[in-house]
Amino acid sequence: MAFVLAVASTVIFASRAGRRARLMHAANEPIREWMSVPFIAHAHHLPASVLFQAIGVRPRQPYDRRSIRHIARDLNRPVPELMAQLESAIQAATPPPGGHPR
Amino acid sequence: MNDRLLGAVSLYGAPALFGIVAIAAVGVPLPITLLLIVAGSMISQGAMNPWWAIGAAAAGSSLGDQAGYVIGRWGGPAAAARLGALFGKRVNLKAMETKVRTWGGSGIFVTRWLLSPLGPWINLASGTARYPWPRFLLWDLMGEVTGAAVFISLGRFFSDRAMSLYGVLGDLTWAVAGLLAAVLFGYLLVARLRRARVR
Repeated sequence: MAFVLAVASTVIFASRAGRRARLMHAANEPIREWMSVPFIAHAHHLPASVLFQAIGVRPRQPYDRRSIRHIARDLNRPVPELMAQLESAIQAATPPPGGHPR
Repeated sequence: MNDRLLGAVSLYGAPALFGIVAIAAVGVPLPITLLLIVAGSMISQGAMNPWWAIGAAAAGSSLGDQAGYVIGRWGGPAAAARLGALFGKRVNLKAMETKVRTWGGSGIFVTRWLLSPLGPWINLASGTARYPWPRFLLWDLMGEVTGAAVFISLGRFFSDRAMSLYGVLGDLTWAVAGLLAAVLFGYLLVARLRRARVR
């Protein structure tokens, strides 16, 4: 019984890993509040300046390491609001499949 | 909590990585694989030095592992059980000690990176089983350097896919654990069938 369970879990997790790996390049990377703006920009292949501009922030250094949560605290703005602005900016700057950016 | 730790690595780099992996190595459940992937991604963006990152991750983890070993060795099974209870885990220390004796150094090496959830408990069991400390340190360092190098390199290679990669690696870890368990149970099953046939 233990042997069958072990084989079954191996098959299930290996196939899940395979499926996720195949979708890796197609899937959109989620935005999390611990991420810095350059980190998000890199994940979406955009210049960080586009995203900084979208949230109205001037970067402190060439690679501004502050997280979204940190920036939100500095600006005294809610984190979800900043994240929503970043998501809209990414959508606007990302070309739809086979087209130009909106 | 995890968001704050990831934010700290983003903000402070290698020193934060060192501190967080050391705490995790004692048994606190923290997303270390994701931290290493994020560090790799930051290296590819030029925001972190690769040698500092690998050194900090390996040294911090090893420091935490040594603390676990010391608790097991000098605190005994009672201290190990208390530590497990502190982090909400019931540790079968006897079974872990058997694993340490059976697998030896290779078990310590593999649980540093490939089967890392077992790592803290193997540290405690290595201490209670009085596994020789110089050998523990050697296998531990080799495993931690390998783990840090592998996950940071993966993060560097898939730098724009950190979260997706983390999901894939999570499933792969469980698949490897299942495979090892299948091999072990399969071996026991075959041995039992052979014994039954001889009788």
